Amino acid sequence: MSSAISIETLSMEFGPGMKALDEVSLEIRDNEFFTLLGPSGCGKTTLLRLIAGFEQPSAGVIRLYGEPMQDLPPFRRPVNTVFQSYALFPHMTVAQNIGFGLEMQGKPKAEIAATVERMLALVKLPDVGGRRADQLSGGQQQRIALARALASRPKVLLLDESLSALDMKLRKEMQIELKRLQAETGITFIFVTHDQEEALTMSDRIAVMSKGRILQVGTPSEIYENPANRTVADFIGETNFLEAQAIGEQLQLADGQTLPSHCSAQGAVTLAIRPERVALSESGNLAGEVEEVVYIGTDTLYLLRVAGQSGFRVREQNGCGVRPLLQRGAPVRLEVPAAAIRVLSE
Amino acid sequence: MSTPRQLAERRQLLRRLGLIAPGMAMLAVFLVAPLAIMLLVSFLQPGEYGGVKWGEYSAEAYISFFYERDFDDNLVFNTDYLGIFQRSFWLAVATTVGCLLIGFPTALYLALQSEKKRNLLLFLVTVPFWTNLLVRVYAWMLLLRNGGLVDGALGVFGVPEGSVGLLYSSGAVMIGLLYSFLPFMVLPIYTSLEKLDWRLVEAAFDLGANRWQALKRVILPLALPGMLAGATLVFIPALGNYIIPELLGGGKALMIGNLVQLQFGSGHNWPLGAALAFSLFSLVLLALLFNGLRQRGQEVRA
Amino acid sequence: MNLQGPLWRFTGVRPVAWTFFAFLYIPILVLVALSFNAGQSATLWQGFSFKWYGVVANDPEILRAAKNSLIVAVCATLISTCLATLAALGMHGRRFRGQGALQGVLGLPLLVPDIVCAVAILMFFAFIGLKLSLLTILIAHVVFCTPFAYLPIRARLQGMDPRLLEAAADLYASPWRAFWRISFPLLLPGILSGAMLAFIISMDDFVITYFVAGAGSTTLPVYIFSSIRMGISPKINAISSIMLVLSILFVTLSYYLGQRKR
Repeated sequence: MSSAISIETLSMEFGPGMKALDEVSLEIRDNEFFTLLGPSGCGKTTLLRLIAGFEQPSAGVIRLYGEPMQDLPPFRRPVNTVFQSYALFPHMTVAQNIGFGLEMQGKPKAEIAATVERMLALVKLPDVGGRRADQLSGGQQQRIALARALASRPKVLLLDESLSALDMKLRKEMQIELKRLQAETGITFIFVTHDQEEALTMSDRIAVMSKGRILQVGTPSEIYENPANRTVADFIGETNFLEAQAIGEQLQLADGQTLPSHCSAQGAVTLAIRPERVALSESGNLAGEVEEVVYIGTDTLYLLRVAGQSGFRVREQNGCGVRPLLQRGAPVRLEVPAAAIRVLSE
Repeated sequence: MSTPRQLAERRQLLRRLGLIAPGMAMLAVFLVAPLAIMLLVSFLQPGEYGGVKWGEYSAEAYISFFYERDFDDNLVFNTDYLGIFQRSFWLAVATTVGCLLIGFPTALYLALQSEKKRNLLLFLVTVPFWTNLLVRVYAWMLLLRNGGLVDGALGVFGVPEGSVGLLYSSGAVMIGLLYSFLPFMVLPIYTSLEKLDWRLVEAAFDLGANRWQALKRVILPLALPGMLAGATLVFIPALGNYIIPELLGGGKALMIGNLVQLQFGSGHNWPLGAALAFSLFSLVLLALLFNGLRQRGQEVRA
Repeated sequence: MNLQGPLWRFTGVRPVAWTFFAFLYIPILVLVALSFNAGQSATLWQGFSFKWYGVVANDPEILRAAKNSLIVAVCATLISTCLATLAALGMHGRRFRGQGALQGVLGLPLLVPDIVCAVAILMFFAFIGLKLSLLTILIAHVVFCTPFAYLPIRARLQGMDPRLLEAAADLYASPWRAFWRISFPLLLPGILSGAMLAFIISMDDFVITYFVAGAGSTTLPVYIFSSIRMGISPKINAISSIMLVLSILFVTLSYYLGQRKR
């Protein structure tokens, strides 16, 4: 597979010592739904703005299908952006908004009109062409922003937190919609979000970023199942961390309890354990004490004290067989299979 | 070596400076330079018939604020100018206080109206700003002169016509200043009241404050920035005003502005005029500095 | 929040407000009323007549002054609005070192009392040997109109979403085309209100014009001032009323246009 965008040691400093991006290198493949995921301030939006050309890098190269383009102004780059606030031109109609890019490229009027029609149909809003952008609802504006960015058939589409202004229900709808659009148009999508669930459901691959660096690149399941380090594990999904010593085939916890190990690391390690991969069980291999019980409808969340550490989370589905709710302070045992333990050695 | 980013930023900055340049050049040549020259002139000797004697520096102009030279060329203390400074200052202060006393209740009244009525009233407050000051002051000459409307109205109450001498007095100047600058007080106070969260006042009522206490403890403190802005907007133009004392004060209630004008008219003393103008400008800057420092202090505390 | 209930009636506030409005408008109304006086006196009512308006309309001196005022105001408005628009565009964006000082210079005409401005410019013209004429008036007017035109344009720019220009660049618009297709139409209301402000400020200015006007380049306010000094007359009432009514009409019109747009 050829790479759509390849980024080599890209850095950006706002001022001396204020690094927004620190020597980032990245390959984004052709026709891929790629997500930049990270907390706010991690540099993901900066990276997107560098690709779009709104900011200039301090150093590094950005290639689009092999061509370096870090020196081109944004209006000469065949990439288009869907902005977080949509940035629809308020003084133009929806059709004028969608046709703007084609008009700037000097396309004939008839072609523009036809493309606008096609785009409106693509985003399933065929009748709003004559309206002004500010007369539309948030969800509709979102679709028009998408249509506008897709109208001139960019080689890469950039989406900057594009769903964050929508409410939950619309958001789920648009997630599916975006996947469909990506499949239909065959355009490479680069999506920026801080919402890990959104990233996991939509992406072909994800890059997790923190403090101007890329921590891990991989498919959603790689990232969820095999986080490269503690930051990634902490950011993606819920994770319990336990400090331990790896001694031979054994992982020894602070209070002397042991867990089986399936990995060769030795010495001080951190164990990452997902709350849904363990279960309360009388024959369990780990002892703890109930600190708090939180009923959440589908699940019950138990906060336990394990090996001297508090706040160990265990999720159990609420089935038909009702277990009497555990009381605070009650001793419990946990079943922790070796496969549920991810050993992180920093 | 510069990074591509720094180069782009430099290009951008140059383009922006290029856009600012024409306007800036206009103001630099025709306002900043003249003000600098004015400062220089204030330290020169006056020419015989206006103008100045270049190269002959002296502080004579500033000295003459307080002293005049008698026939033997001795400095004698002279209160003529000081009296005019004092009058200007107190008239400006009184105008500011008067504007506050009328402006605050008016702004409060405006802020408490329904939106439609409020917009209309607000419009009525701003209209005079768009009309000629000279003409509005002239209207007061019609009202205040002997035989004018106010005089006539007083006559109804048995005051003989023409006995009060309303026009050409400090009182007339004061009315003129109040009249001209009241909108400058009402608007900023209204703006700060409009931003006020009235639920705070409800909270005060809820905690047992009566209207007067809520006004004093909640509304007034929160409207203070608006009042200060208004006070600056009133005090500065009132202090330096020329038309109002010229038309309503006659020769009897001169202010600094008139004194400045006299030096360029019949007085033929440009250095003194420049010195007076520069002092006036300094007073204005002081008032602004005071206001600015206060604001900064508040920001630091917040 | 509803603030019209009895809870919110502060005693004494309403009478003060109405006194304020009466104080603001009674002199204007009296002036306009007296301009229709048939007699020779400026203040003694002797019957209704349009007579003085006829006198004004046929006074060549007044007409010349009005023409001068218009010429200066139109030119000053055009020039200062252009300067202000460019400056506002340049000031917009990330702060650079020294921007505060430039901002200060741009706002300077608002701070300097007009009499100070007037004598400073007068001396400057005298020293560089520029003869007082309509041109000197125009220069002075451009100086003090520029910040008035600048403020609304700057406010409009600050209210504009910077992403819109990025979006235009993203969609292949060069900076020049982006300006004319996006910035300019969105700034236009600000530019228009800036121009309107500049026009009115220029039309109304007396003090600065009085100092820098040469012989034969009298503007309307300067004419009115000189006439008042020679004694008040019904003719002044009439020309003053015309100026008042024209500017009130002008503002009311722009107010209604502004309301309708919303």
